[in-house]
Amino acid sequence: MDKGLLAYLLIPLLSAVIIPFAARNRPRLADILANVTLLAGLVNIAWMVLRPSVVADGFADIPGDMLFPLLLVGAIYLVALCVTFFSAWFMEEGQPNRAAYYSLILASVSAMTGVVTTTDFFTLYVFIEVLAVTSFALITTDDSRGGIEGALKYFFLTFPASALIIAGISILLIVLGDLQFETLRIFMASDVPPGPAVFAAALIMLGFLIKAGVVPFHAWTPDAYQGAYAPVSAHLAGIVTKISGVYAIVKLGTLLRFFDGRASALSEMVMFLGLLSIAVGALAALRQKDFKRMLAFSSISQVGYIVLAAGLGTPLAVIGAVFHLFNHATFKTVLFLNSASVEKSAGTTDMEKLGGLEHSMPWTSWTSVIALLSTAGVPPLSGFWSKLLIILALWEAGLRGYAGLALLFSIVTLAYFMVMQRKIFFGRKSQAAESAPEVSAPLLAPAVLMSAVIVALGLLFPYFYTYVKMVAERIIL
Amino acid sequence: MTYHNLLFTLAVLFALWAVMAKKLLTSAIMLALVSVTVSLIFFNLGAPWAGVFELSVCAGLITVLFIGAVSLIRSTEEKHPESRAPFYALPLAAAIFAIAGWFYLPAFFDELASWRRLADGSGTIGTALWDLRRPDLLGQVLMLAAGVFVIKSVFPRRTEK
Amino acid sequence: MSIFAMDWYLIALLMFIGFYCMLASRSIVRQLIGLEIVSKAAMLTVISAGALTANLVMAQALLITMIVIEVVVVAAGLALLVKAFRVNGNADIWKLDGLKG
Repeated sequence: MDKGLLAYLLIPLLSAVIIPFAARNRPRLADILANVTLLAGLVNIAWMVLRPSVVADGFADIPGDMLFPLLLVGAIYLVALCVTFFSAWFMEEGQPNRAAYYSLILASVSAMTGVVTTTDFFTLYVFIEVLAVTSFALITTDDSRGGIEGALKYFFLTFPASALIIAGISILLIVLGDLQFETLRIFMASDVPPGPAVFAAALIMLGFLIKAGVVPFHAWTPDAYQGAYAPVSAHLAGIVTKISGVYAIVKLGTLLRFFDGRASALSEMVMFLGLLSIAVGALAALRQKDFKRMLAFSSISQVGYIVLAAGLGTPLAVIGAVFHLFNHATFKTVLFLNSASVEKSAGTTDMEKLGGLEHSMPWTSWTSVIALLSTAGVPPLSGFWSKLLIILALWEAGLRGYAGLALLFSIVTLAYFMVMQRKIFFGRKSQAAESAPEVSAPLLAPAVLMSAVIVALGLLFPYFYTYVKMVAERIIL
Repeated sequence: MTYHNLLFTLAVLFALWAVMAKKLLTSAIMLALVSVTVSLIFFNLGAPWAGVFELSVCAGLITVLFIGAVSLIRSTEEKHPESRAPFYALPLAAAIFAIAGWFYLPAFFDELASWRRLADGSGTIGTALWDLRRPDLLGQVLMLAAGVFVIKSVFPRRTEK
Repeated sequence: MSIFAMDWYLIALLMFIGFYCMLASRSIVRQLIGLEIVSKAAMLTVISAGALTANLVMAQALLITMIVIEVVVVAAGLALLVKAFRVNGNADIWKLDGLKG
């Protein structure tokens, strides 16, 4: 575990333990403590990475292997801050489990930081279990039937997946005698035939594919996202499932050195499942009637792009994957938070009953449009660059068919989002939209902040690109 | 050798019984027996610490939790029993798996055993936990904290209402 | 055939029984029991791997962590069960079909 990043794990944990005691008589104190903790962490990261002297040096101070963990810790804190800030105004006054809700969010932030900073397979497993346990309780925060259904489906799919991961870890223990990431990387780089190590990695990979909700195993994803308590679905879709499943897939892809073909069968399988996810997610999203459910299928489709790039495993593809993971966190948070706003204001997320919200909720609808365009990969928003990197990497590796299909389904993404925009935000005002006022400014602030991040990253990306590419090549090759 | 294999076979038989039992209470008790057998296997393999933990925590604490939950829902569960057909098919399915696996799995696992890399295996559990697996201890603390928050979230104080 | 291969053969059988139980049953409690059987099999693989490579110290250190995790997971699962029971009045997983699409 990286000692420099340990504080990002310990401070939320400490804060999570303090909250139930501090907020016993003053429930609003729980909101304040959670927001302050996350804001402090985010400011600290921004200071470490973006202070003027570091930028002027061309980021020479930051060690190369810290870059990806730092980027992901930044994404975790950013999404969690948006979610807690939103919940502080969204949650009803008398909610009995308010303190426990914020404690659970902070505990999940701690666990996610553990996941991205660890260097050991078993520790990765431990933190992912913590993350899963916090997720169930978060999903069922508001005691709705849908939430309980989603939580149960999630429960009974992730824990068998964990058993597969443990079986893989045991085989790694036999073959390598050690569970460090570095041992596996050295083993794969040597001339020893990989044999059982790849089998073990395949078991672990299968477990993480289930946890990520990649297509043959996506049964739980839409239910969990749709049924969850509204701000929690943003937390879950934006960052939790991405860190608990997708991050590990990207990491395993780099450790197994997919690009030099030593584990080519596994690599091809992962790429195929990635493409399948893109296709099934996009086509299923086309015929959804519910706003949140459509977003959930779109999330499956976007995860497919990351998994496809992870399966390819060249440096360019891995940059694309990590950057797309970050972008996915930004745009899906905006969309799910806005769906929560629509739900609060218009009382429904059924697309048949909504329409013309552009006039009554201008801020919600325009931030949604920015996020939608970024998801679909329209330049110059940030989603365009990450998709471009992934498609370029596929083209360079000679996989023209995959590149073409990825591009094609990107257009399908644009199509279903066009349908959604027309049904919800544009067009004629429906009855539900008639009586839907714009939500208050604090509820809009997270979406506006994230939209600003999307636009800024999109405009500044060419400036960072050479540095990021250099780091990625040093880490992976 | 025979004792060792007997324990594994017993674990499988108890598991079959736990799945096929009609009453949930019997299932919970059979699950406890699976745990006891597994802990005896741990002692037999030379892992006393694992055995003690398994016996006290899994066979003890988890069984108590299960029996508590079962007694809570037993009345409705017995009013609407689920279809038994899939459970009667289990021995058949297990036998098919066992016979089909017999031709492939042992050979595969023999090959796997030939790949093993021996460790030095010195040291004690305490030093191994503290020196090598310190991040896991942090994970355990986080897990226990998360467990407390989950219980607090699911069963909040409702004194205000 | 070595003892190790025989052990793992039976562990695979145990895991199969657990997965079968999870697939066949509709009751949440029974699914949890299946999950427990699967995780028992996973624990056996860890200790058996440690015994094979003379690495029992490490394997036991891992197992203690796994047991702590398992207790919390089962407690969370049973808490979910109680909550589902309180809201829906039954513990049947397929009766939950409010979400479709």
